[in-house]
Amino acid sequence: MENKREILKVVDLQKKFHKLEVLKGISTTFHENEVVSIIGPSGGGKSTFLRCLNLLEQPTSGQILFDGTDICTIKGKAIDHCRQRMGMVFQQFNLFSNMDVMHNLTAAPVRIKGMSQSDAQEKALELLAKVGLADRADAYPSQLSGGQKQRIAIVRSLMMDPEVMLFDEPTSALDPEMIGEVLDVMKDLAESGMTMIVVTHEMRFAREVSSRTIFLDGGVIGEDKPSHELFSHPESPRLVTFLNKVL
Amino acid sequence: MAFLETMAKLIERYNSFFTEGIVNTLIIAAFSVLFGAILGTLMASLRMCRIPPLRWIAVAYIEFVRGTPLMVQLMFIFYGLPMIGITIPNIPWIPNFSRFAAGIVAMSMNSCAYVAEIIRSGIQAVDGGQMEAARSVGFSSGEAMRLVVLPQAIRNILPALGNEFVTVIKESSIVSVIGIADLMFRTNDVIAVTYKNLECLAVAALCYFVLTFVSGRAVSLAERKLSHGK
Repeated sequence: MENKREILKVVDLQKKFHKLEVLKGISTTFHENEVVSIIGPSGGGKSTFLRCLNLLEQPTSGQILFDGTDICTIKGKAIDHCRQRMGMVFQQFNLFSNMDVMHNLTAAPVRIKGMSQSDAQEKALELLAKVGLADRADAYPSQLSGGQKQRIAIVRSLMMDPEVMLFDEPTSALDPEMIGEVLDVMKDLAESGMTMIVVTHEMRFAREVSSRTIFLDGGVIGEDKPSHELFSHPESPRLVTFLNKVL
Repeated sequence: MAFLETMAKLIERYNSFFTEGIVNTLIIAAFSVLFGAILGTLMASLRMCRIPPLRWIAVAYIEFVRGTPLMVQLMFIFYGLPMIGITIPNIPWIPNFSRFAAGIVAMSMNSCAYVAEIIRSGIQAVDGGQMEAARSVGFSSGEAMRLVVLPQAIRNILPALGNEFVTVIKESSIVSVIGIADLMFRTNDVIAVTYKNLECLAVAALCYFVLTFVSGRAVSLAERKLSHGK
């Protein structure tokens, strides 16, 4: 892992909402091709941390080095540009509800990257086929199940060929029988070598698919190590308690 | 029966009064709706802009206008402002220009506040996740607004905006107090001549109802067209 490229390096990241300190100094590094799960109790700052990484939340202090550039200090167009290189998948899917599936997928590559509509459609159909939804290109989001929406949301991010994908509890809003189909897509993605940072409550995914797991609790990193080690030998009492509750 | 006959007779005999009233009512309403919509859109963007002082000005304006009677606003503009030297000049080839202008200014400024609130609430009713998702794929906030948020907001805004337009037609009856010969004003004229209060007012009510009903239908037709056209 050491000789891999550092995609995101986070140094002493802090985030306050007014007086509430949500992140109290987070430091970690994400390497190329790495799949990292972030687990921890609710309110521990997992989502805030993830949202800071693509500046949906502006960090209060600290550094986030994306490919060597500190993105905490950039503004305007540079932020848009940086987000174009990171995919983000939300808990609530957030497909554009005024567009059909095809336009959800092609809007960004066509308008931002200047891809031709036909090339974008070809690419969209190819990716849709990979997630088993090639026949739903004309559907509107309201006509899809949660699992289908989330698979399409993943494809929407992939359309921009991101260097890293951020997942914010991608299966938490799904009915139990649909969780599997989304996790399968994420697993395929991990195997294809995509760099992924996943905030999740799916301990099996964290344990089996991700190479490393970070336990985030009370705004600080409790433990940060290879997944199998973290799950089989949890050290801190907080992590032991947490794992006992969720496993 | 006699009542309806009297109404019919009134309409037949004073039809030029009522027609002129209706035309003037429509002129006032049409311009007020037009300017109200334009100013309201500007006011809404001011209300939601990133610079706090501009936002405060918009909030103060909207709250004040919505919290005071249109009658007071109208009289303030037509009778009040000339006292400090602010008058609307008369244009010779448009009869009664200064009255009409005062009426239209007051009604548009009033309607603008309501339109601004309709637009703002329509935009803010769109789920925040839509904006975030659009930003996360790399759209600027302007693009995200134009491509994702506004098309969804329009669906919230149109019905309420349609209502507002219909309301303006009814509310415009108030301009009769500054001497604009609208439907209400001409109705009073006919009452003064015939002493048939009840029948005259019934005719006026009927006219207003036809105006609002027809424009209400037109608005909902336009709504359906617009929400299908995507």
